[in-house]
Amino acid sequence: MIRFRTFAIVFAPAYAVLYALAVFNNWALFTYAPATGEFGPLLTPATAGPSMYWYGWIATAALGGGALAGLCAFLPESVTRRMPACLTWGVPIVVILVFGYLLRGYFLR
Amino acid sequence: MWIVLLITHSLLAFLLLGAITHQTLSVWAPPRSKPGSFLARARAVPSTSYVTAVIVLYLLTAIMGGYIYTNYRIAARFTLEQGHFWKTFGAFELKEHFIALGLGVLPAYWYVWKSPDAAALTHTRNMLTTVLAFVGWWGFLVGHLTNNVRGLGT
Repeated sequence: MIRFRTFAIVFAPAYAVLYALAVFNNWALFTYAPATGEFGPLLTPATAGPSMYWYGWIATAALGGGALAGLCAFLPESVTRRMPACLTWGVPIVVILVFGYLLRGYFLR
Repeated sequence: MWIVLLITHSLLAFLLLGAITHQTLSVWAPPRSKPGSFLARARAVPSTSYVTAVIVLYLLTAIMGGYIYTNYRIAARFTLEQGHFWKTFGAFELKEHFIALGLGVLPAYWYVWKSPDAAALTHTRNMLTTVLAFVGWWGFLVGHLTNNVRGLGT
């Protein structure tokens, strides 16, 4: 259970930060073309219609966050016990506010 | 088929909202005495019993929404752009990011409700529940608003 505690406490903030970075830098693990139903690795342009990166951003954040949290789960308990649990909600709230700020232009037109 | 999926998605979101709202009320304003009023009874639910339901409903609603999103991307989104519905458009963009961020807090949410040392993590539990409630309400209201721009089956 202590390993899952560490995993959960690291995964939530790591996932949130990686998701934001993936969106801002377009680090999509894969691309989906909804008009043709095709998947492509990384940033593969759609042969027809728009390209969707949202699923790829989630995959990037989940894989990256999962890998980091998985590694941290094996740190000594004396270290992991000091990880503040408030990061699990604090970082996602900050990222939510950042997205709200960056997309404010849609509400000011 | 898209209409059936959209209605099912809405119903799942509605169930999720019910569970997460009860839970949020119960953690921030637990009843001090025997509940008498409607609001007091809404706060007096056994919160822990909602955890698995919230996680399963969140995942099901997100997966179904993610599938419907493909249709939005090639059809409804252009209507929003061409009609200059920028506030709705922006709110939906935020919804997409908020739902994705909500997925990331689910393991921590499960842990703080189910772990043996949950009592020591009360504030974290309350805040994570509130974050999920905010994401759920935002997603539900914006989804409803966006659907109203065109309407079902148009």
